[in-house]
Amino acid sequence: METKTSRKTLIDGSKLMIEALVRAGADTFVGYPITPSNWMYRYGKQRFPQFYAAPDEITTFQWMAGMSAAGRLPVTSSAFPGIALMVESINMAYAMELPLVVIITQRLGPSTGSATTGAQGDLSLLNGIISGGYPVPVFSPSNFEDAWELSAKAVETAVKFRSPVFLLTSKEMVMYQKSFDLSKLKPINKIDRPEPEIEGEYLPYKADDSLVPPFLPLGNDEHLVRITASTHDEAANIRKNDPEALANTKRLRDKFIKRIDELTIYDLDNQEGANDLIVTWGITADAARDALQYLRKQGKKVDLLVVKSLLPVAPVIYDIIDRYDNIVIAEENLTGQYKEILFGTRPVKHIKQVNKIGNMIHPKEIIDTVLQA
Amino acid sequence: MMTKNPKTNFLTGKKFPFCPGCGHGISINALNKALQELNYGPNDVIVVSDIGCSGLIDPLFATHTIHGLHGRSPALGLGVAMGVAQKQNKKVIAFIGDGGATIGLQHILEAARRNVDMTLIVLNNLLYGMTGGQISGLSTQKFKEIIDFEKDVPPFDLIQLAHASGARLAVRVNAPNKIKDTLKKAIETEGFSIVEAASLCPSYGMKRMNELMEVVEHENILEHKRPATKIIDRETNSLLEQANIIEPKYDAGLKERKGILIAGSAGGGAQSVARFLAMAGMYAGLETTMKGEYPITVGTGFSVAEVIFDHQPINYTGLDKPDYFVIVTEDGLNKIKSKLHKDAKIYIDDKLVTDELKSEFPDLMAVPFGKMANRKSTALAAVTYVLNKEKILPVETLKEAVSTHRLKDIFVDVINKVVES
Repeated sequence: METKTSRKTLIDGSKLMIEALVRAGADTFVGYPITPSNWMYRYGKQRFPQFYAAPDEITTFQWMAGMSAAGRLPVTSSAFPGIALMVESINMAYAMELPLVVIITQRLGPSTGSATTGAQGDLSLLNGIISGGYPVPVFSPSNFEDAWELSAKAVETAVKFRSPVFLLTSKEMVMYQKSFDLSKLKPINKIDRPEPEIEGEYLPYKADDSLVPPFLPLGNDEHLVRITASTHDEAANIRKNDPEALANTKRLRDKFIKRIDELTIYDLDNQEGANDLIVTWGITADAARDALQYLRKQGKKVDLLVVKSLLPVAPVIYDIIDRYDNIVIAEENLTGQYKEILFGTRPVKHIKQVNKIGNMIHPKEIIDTVLQA
Repeated sequence: MMTKNPKTNFLTGKKFPFCPGCGHGISINALNKALQELNYGPNDVIVVSDIGCSGLIDPLFATHTIHGLHGRSPALGLGVAMGVAQKQNKKVIAFIGDGGATIGLQHILEAARRNVDMTLIVLNNLLYGMTGGQISGLSTQKFKEIIDFEKDVPPFDLIQLAHASGARLAVRVNAPNKIKDTLKKAIETEGFSIVEAASLCPSYGMKRMNELMEVVEHENILEHKRPATKIIDRETNSLLEQANIIEPKYDAGLKERKGILIAGSAGGGAQSVARFLAMAGMYAGLETTMKGEYPITVGTGFSVAEVIFDHQPINYTGLDKPDYFVIVTEDGLNKIKSKLHKDAKIYIDDKLVTDELKSEFPDLMAVPFGKMANRKSTALAAVTYVLNKEKILPVETLKEAVSTHRLKDIFVDVINKVVES
């Protein structure tokens, strides 16, 4: 719908994400360019108050971790080959509890695969990326509005939960242009990071009921700050088989699981009497929206669940899915990675899958599967 | 030198975890003294450590500390240094062992090249102490002759490497009584400084200091005069402020969704023209998407772009069956050949038409696009021709779109010539 205040432009998702990240308070971009994340690198260079061209992805992440520990809010963007190099460092930042944001633009794997072909193939990697099976927050935009809002949400989450946060997108979301009304974008407030008031000694890993310890940066003038990636107690002393240290390690999971509502984002387009549900995420959501529109026009009662916070899985996702007799899960990968995270690899009778590699899933493929169900 | 601040102890007082006789303790104590004499406070210093015997220092320092991954302390430390650079009087001191130094060799060279203010201390005991005394990339020839291992492979000279990469100060120090003053000089240096300190490993290496002194590389001091790199936040403008807001001014000719595929070669403007075409659609009040495809080597080969127009919002952006093909070059034709279909209107440069193509698609329209404009503007000329012929959009919309470009006069001229002819 055109309104008098509409501000239409031709724009891409990369630009929206970078702008939103900066508005939300991210202040440093570090990166090594990789297709199809290059546009983010380019915009990052234009927009961030500080920008660093790192010589490789391990350096990228180590610099980010150091900056984050010193109080900055760094962002990088990469694709699988770069993320693979970062994995140990991601674990480090996770254990250190450092806020930062990582954008992954998915492309067709395995390995170098096809750099300019989109995909949704890196969700399983993120599901197991932390040694020991600890969850990382993963948001995945399903359209340009999401690209904007979830980028801000990623910054907020990184700070609120003291953690690396992932924005999982795809080549087709960030490397094409579309007519888009900028007036649809919600205002983004810069995340407030007031220095916590500490009474007595500062214990960098002592958390209250929020399960997230108050963050002070390295170099603080009042309190000494200790940060470590090794198993540690509340004072950051390295401890082995120590109940306090193991409790601290378990807290890394609990802080997300017990506050899952704060991380849960999805759209449910539902109507009275529907027994069929399409579940999707990321780039396939647009095809699912077209499929939904078509099916409803044909008189088929069908609903659509677009999941935007993929990990950790929110219980409400199961609650919603359980209301339907027939489920179709559509995603652009070989085996249905989100389906497997939800239900395992064993086939489930009332769940049909639409999976594909090398091309975006076509609305017709979803329509046909729903009609077969 | 007089101790300026003798009361500040930068050490926690915890017992050193090193083997009896280990040389690492000498450097730790020397650093404590150096910081005291330089009048730092504990909150001014950030000690960065990683893994290995050198990494055991983390609990020893009563300063800010960060303890990370094996071989990464130079990169993690540089990140911290860049992060605290705008605060007053903060000093990042990173430790690494000779084992970590080869894992993170690139980090060291990069930190030297960047020359941001920080000090890296390499505790070189010539071997991997934690895993059984295996040789390292910094094990010297003489040491390897003694233990008969990889004798023909020379060690890295970290000091030369760091210097060649631009370190403000790169020092190798062997004599234990010189370590404190060397560290003082390094810490006082504004920019990246690296100190490689020889260290005895009594468990796997030399048992006595004089034996160690016989096998280490010679001491060395190398300096550059370059100033330390300044880290500052800059003001930037919103990416959206630069957005070109388009208001519809014309009526579109098309009634329903249409997809156009432009197939050309790198450097032929197919991507820019597709962008202009998408904007042109918006001037006609349409929803639009534009997608480009080209090889990773962007300067050669095909350059293909898709544009979709619709009166309704466009969700799915795939274009499986384009309604119009605009084929300008052979590279482009080869790329999209498999997508050609009989329901489409195919406009193709006349030089590309073969008998085979003609027999398969008898309705194709051969047009001398190549003669309408120079190579860089052929795609624009071809798209203008098709727009004008098919009445998809008024040609004026394309003129509006190109008017946002610095070469607008040339582009408008191309469009006018095509329309007039």
